[in-house]
Amino acid sequence: MSQVLRHAPSLHPVVAWFWLEARVPDFDISPILDSWQFLATGIGVTILLSALSMAASLLFGTVLGVARGYGPRAMQMSITFYVDTMRSIPVLVVIVWIYFAVPILIGINFPPFWSALIAITIHITASVVEIVRAGVESIREGQCRAGLALGMSWPQVIIKIVLPQAAIRMLPAIGSVLSVTIKDTAIASVIAVPEFMKRAETVASQSYQPMEVFTFAIFVYFLLLFPTTRAVDFIYRRLAHLGRS
Amino acid sequence: MTLDWSIIWLNKQELAEGALMTIVLTVLTMGLAVPLGIVLAFMRLSKWRSLAFLSLCFVELFRNIPLILIVYWSFYVIPILIPVQFSAFTTGLVALVLCVSAYNAETFRAGINSVRQGQTNAGLALGMSQLQVMKEIILPQAARRVLPILATTWVSLFKDTSLVSVIAVGELSHVALQIRSQSFRVLEMLTAMAVIYWIMGYPQAKLSDWVRKKFEVKE
Repeated sequence: MSQVLRHAPSLHPVVAWFWLEARVPDFDISPILDSWQFLATGIGVTILLSALSMAASLLFGTVLGVARGYGPRAMQMSITFYVDTMRSIPVLVVIVWIYFAVPILIGINFPPFWSALIAITIHITASVVEIVRAGVESIREGQCRAGLALGMSWPQVIIKIVLPQAAIRMLPAIGSVLSVTIKDTAIASVIAVPEFMKRAETVASQSYQPMEVFTFAIFVYFLLLFPTTRAVDFIYRRLAHLGRS
Repeated sequence: MTLDWSIIWLNKQELAEGALMTIVLTVLTMGLAVPLGIVLAFMRLSKWRSLAFLSLCFVELFRNIPLILIVYWSFYVIPILIPVQFSAFTTGLVALVLCVSAYNAETFRAGINSVRQGQTNAGLALGMSQLQVMKEIILPQAARRVLPILATTWVSLFKDTSLVSVIAVGELSHVALQIRSQSFRVLEMLTAMAVIYWIMGYPQAKLSDWVRKKFEVKE
């Protein structure tokens, strides 16, 4: 140590210590290449789980969001309670509860994939409800009155006038919820859903090369998430003018 | 199906310690991630392109990977790269700070950028220096806009601390899952865990709504 320091007097002792002690390990990607099919199907499951839970959340979230905006008082309050509850409980807790506790209550065992799908949908729907509500509220009231004055019914006003405009204004927020959904699917690994995170963990522990595998996983998730969020932003910029009123 | 809720009372000590650990993790993470986020935001806004690019890479990387992966990565890879052995707690804290400081950096940058250019120009026209403009005009206004978003980040951070349970940090969800697997009182323990999170999280969520209303900026 001291010898090296004498040869490199310009190095700060801490830097020198790191220089000597920090190992720069070989980067051996063979475990990734060996089990590329195993990992690739995991990516497929991640994408499928994200797409299904996002689709279901959008559907339920829109219905509940409209109900939150226009429904009767009691319904509005119960939806608000549901949304705030989901805002205060971690998605991990919801996933674990649905997977382990629900079968005890109703006596039916779900496969991990379906439990994760249900849990993530329940969690993400709450975010979508808030976004839809804000989007619906941002449409001026005059538009609804104009629709009603033209003889449209309330459902017609909501479907034909309010939602199409609100949908475009909601796009950026929906984009970030999509990103959160994909990230949440990684948490499904704790109940052994065979998605990418779980697969990466398995490969890492079997090959004893966690550094390579987890670093590779970071690349994969980044390549999955970054283009997705950018694409939503791009679409929004193209469509933004349609949402103005 | 027989339920035995006394298991919660029997383990109240452990659960309380777990809840305390969750709070400690949240406070420490936010305490570290706010200064780091400010540094990253100023790096991003600086004249030096390389600094800005470095900050951009950091922020975009950590915003676009799942936190649970950062936790695993820190747990398995940091000990290989650096010859220091961290405890599970420190590792979890590092992972949380990396993730949250990226979010905070973006929040601060957006807050500073949201103050209209005309305000800077007005300050400069009055003979203030760049530094004065930043300190006297931009930052006070940016702070008002940043605070509600920080409150939202706080609430999600509080929930995200549950993810460090995968590396056996003794916070609430780890403790509860541990008791569940030892006692086999699955439904009771998981429900208790959810309820404790709810009791702690619900007021925070409501408080963040209040902050949002209170500090709403209308231009």
